[in-house]
Amino acid sequence: MDTKEISGEIVRVENVRKIYHDNGVPVDALRGINLTVSPGDFSVIAGPSGSGKTTLLNIVGTLDKPTEGKVFLDGEDVSSKSRRELADIRLRKIGFVFQAYNLNPVLSALENVEFTMMLRGIDAGERKRRGLVLLEELGIGELANKRPNEMSGGQQQRVAIARAISNDPRLVLADEPTANLDSETAVKLLELMEKLNHQDGITFVFSSHDPQVIERAHRLLILRDGQIVNDKVNK
Amino acid sequence: MIGRIAWRNILRNKRRSLILITSIVVGVVALVLTQGFAVGLLQQMLTNQIGADAGYIQIHEKGYQSDPTLENSITDPAPIREVLGRLSGVLEYSERLRAFGLVSSAYNSYGVSIVGIVPSEEEKVTTISGYVTKGYYLSGQPGQILISASMAEKLKVGIDDKVVIMASQRDGSVGSEACRVSGIFRTFNSGFDQSHVYIPIQTADQMLNAKGMISEFVIKPADANRTDSLAAMIRRAIASSGDRQTYEVLTYKQMLPLLVAQLEMYNQALYLIAAIIAVALIFGIVDTMLMVVMERTHEFGVSMAIGMPGRKIFVMVMLEALFLAILGTAIGLIVSYAALTPLSRSGWDLSMFSESLRSIGIGSIIHPVYETASVLRSVLIIPFVTLLGAVYPALKAVRLQPVEAIRTT
Repeated sequence: MDTKEISGEIVRVENVRKIYHDNGVPVDALRGINLTVSPGDFSVIAGPSGSGKTTLLNIVGTLDKPTEGKVFLDGEDVSSKSRRELADIRLRKIGFVFQAYNLNPVLSALENVEFTMMLRGIDAGERKRRGLVLLEELGIGELANKRPNEMSGGQQQRVAIARAISNDPRLVLADEPTANLDSETAVKLLELMEKLNHQDGITFVFSSHDPQVIERAHRLLILRDGQIVNDKVNK
Repeated sequence: MIGRIAWRNILRNKRRSLILITSIVVGVVALVLTQGFAVGLLQQMLTNQIGADAGYIQIHEKGYQSDPTLENSITDPAPIREVLGRLSGVLEYSERLRAFGLVSSAYNSYGVSIVGIVPSEEEKVTTISGYVTKGYYLSGQPGQILISASMAEKLKVGIDDKVVIMASQRDGSVGSEACRVSGIFRTFNSGFDQSHVYIPIQTADQMLNAKGMISEFVIKPADANRTDSLAAMIRRAIASSGDRQTYEVLTYKQMLPLLVAQLEMYNQALYLIAAIIAVALIFGIVDTMLMVVMERTHEFGVSMAIGMPGRKIFVMVMLEALFLAILGTAIGLIVSYAALTPLSRSGWDLSMFSESLRSIGIGSIIHPVYETASVLRSVLIIPFVTLLGAVYPALKAVRLQPVEAIRTT
């Protein structure tokens, strides 16, 4: 196993390139990305559409593989892992929040949160207890038995956050989490994630071009044409 | 929880689930009904033949089965009577003296098997007395004859009319007797009707000059399911009685090898029918489950993204198919039971095909059988087939690339 013990780093991306083939024409989506994410980060990858934000997030989240370069998660090289190993890494180490919430429509809010815990083999009683605590913490305890189609977008995104953090991940990756929400709901959601970052030390990496997200991030990485053109601490 | 998700997904698209369940129900019902009717029909063929003439077990002089002549008849039946009298597995038995000969009227003559019987014994062992449609069954008085309706028509005779029967005696001379038609019968089998006449055994003795001789003992066992073991018991009992004679003790399977082979062939054909139904069903299942997977590609992608391993995705799709299979099979069994039970009691009247059915020895009313073996066969085959049909769609779901699947809307 190719590992690098890098203390204080959750993610290390080394010289990552990603080339897509669009109708046979190679497209450089990422061109030599280097990046590290440390525990407690609250970072945003910003940039215009097509700059490679989602591709980078997918590669960090092990959903996609780089064409070149390496990705280390907790010091472990994930670039050459099998599908099964990657699924296990995602389950244990990464929480995902998607733009379109992506809750399972046949499960209630509580069951959606329980789902990831079930995949980790946590027993039913414990899952339920933890799920209810999480929903309460996120202010949607009364929606525990509601199905996604009975909830607003903001409520669904809160359930998605609860699901993402239910397995105590090392890292939460949020791809345009506020894009489908009105600004008031988006602000509340960002406040919630800030609180989780601040109080519980959960590490967040967003991809977004929403000014409200960019404004609140502690670190701003600007991506353009597949390259990080700016990496700065947000004041 | 995966089971719960699978179940709720079934309820999610009720119409599609209903279509798939209906196709499984149709498959189960088709299978159970086909088998119910086929098994009923085959059993009827066999029991008719056993019941009317052959019986479950017969005892002959050795060689009679291949060369059924008077020379091969039992000359000293007393030891066999003694054996049959003391075996508790023997419910009843009858004695027959039979020969091939001619039955003639003023108009026509036909070759037939002339069966000399003890009417009171025969009545307990076979069902021939129940097929008398006109006149009376033999009373035991000498000179009576029982002929079939088709034979009566050909001979142009009716009740109380006179016919002459003749057959070769042991010395080659021809014996004959004049008999009066006491009754006319009509069985399930037109071929049998045209080739059999019944007379009292003493008339046969006289015609054949074979007093005291017996062509065959016909045995009705106390338990028909134990025919083979009873036959073996009779063989042992006869051997240990020290009788110097050798006899053949034959079960219906040995006496009616053609019919038994036919039944076996039909049984094989049933497997073919089951296979055809299964193949038809499997295509429907593959199609529907593929649709399920295609529609939920995005959901599978999300599940994979949050860490659901491929094998659990596989199990989820298979569980969906299994639930549908269990539901479809259960409903199918209830429907087929509801359809078959009243039919198995009353029988299915196929009088319109009466003549063709009689030509193969079945009769015009078929009693389908709700047979546990056939029911089990469908219970096991259908869910198995359903699961088999779901394997390819489930593997397709497992092979999805999460990043591409999430992009699918």
